[in-house]
Amino acid sequence: MPELKCPVCFGAVKIPDDALDGELFEHEECGAQLELVTSNGSKTLRLAEEVGEDWGE
Amino acid sequence: MIIGLVYDLLRHEERMLIEAIRSRGQGLRLVFIPEKIDFLGSDSRGDDVDFVFQRCVSHYRALATTAILESQGIRVVNSYETIRDSGDKLVTTARLASRGVKVPRTAIAYSREGALMAAREIGYPVVIKPIMGSWGRMIARAKSEDDLLDIMDYREAMSSPHFKIHYIQQYVEKPGRDIRAFYVWGEVPTAIYRISQRWKTNTALGGKAAPANLTEEQVDLVIRAGDAMGGGVLGIDLLETREGETLVSEVNAVVEFRNTVQVTGYDLAGKIVEETIRVLRS
Repeated sequence: MPELKCPVCFGAVKIPDDALDGELFEHEECGAQLELVTSNGSKTLRLAEEVGEDWGE
Repeated sequence: MIIGLVYDLLRHEERMLIEAIRSRGQGLRLVFIPEKIDFLGSDSRGDDVDFVFQRCVSHYRALATTAILESQGIRVVNSYETIRDSGDKLVTTARLASRGVKVPRTAIAYSREGALMAAREIGYPVVIKPIMGSWGRMIARAKSEDDLLDIMDYREAMSSPHFKIHYIQQYVEKPGRDIRAFYVWGEVPTAIYRISQRWKTNTALGGKAAPANLTEEQVDLVIRAGDAMGGGVLGIDLLETREGETLVSEVNAVVEFRNTVQVTGYDLAGKIVEETIRVLRS
């Protein structure tokens, strides 16, 4: 299970091996909602997008 | 077969669809839209996918990416037309009503005065809905003209132009629940009640899901509503009136189903994948 850096508090966040881009994780230590993305070929975390006016079904 | 799945947020539904595709031995191309760039008019065609499931939670991302994929000759489920029309309550209701599908009495007004006249004609209480939007957001009930005037004050202060189109609907006194039925290529494989003490029963607002057994008439209504919207895979919301009628309130084209699977145990993702393969192969 790889560990990535939280972009908010810089703490470690454990990510399952089968995690996919766009998957959300809550960093328990700081409470940030994070989104997994692939950047330049490597997995990284960024702050999750806020719910948009056009989100839904 | 190689199946594409385009998405912008990986929810439980996308996970279930991915698992259903893989477990049936089909190839999968995942496309995470926020990291993608499309050059229009390029010769990139989706020759390596047989069709694509559209799963963007953002309506405009869903529309944009479906339009581009269809322009490249790729079949998308659901189609641009179905997503567009289901994403606009005015168009949905007009399309359903024009095909004889029963809907609540609905009026469209273009001014405060028009909205008041429409509400008087329908009779209070009335429901005012944004024509675009989901999860029950910004839907309001006016029990009196005073209520409606307060709601109109808010709507007129909104910057989005779609709030200047007033969708005013008969308030249906529900039996503490509504129905979410699933339309999958002309079948209705499962349905749930959404139970709430509130008048808004959306599960996104806390409504509790429970398995529903639909009557033959309700199944027929769902099929006619799904057909009217262009078919594919849809979530269709029904309202039961005190008089024993069932009306179609909304249609959802990028449908969520985690609560349905949880309470019914039905493998809806598997059904969606299998039926879509079957229909698009034939």
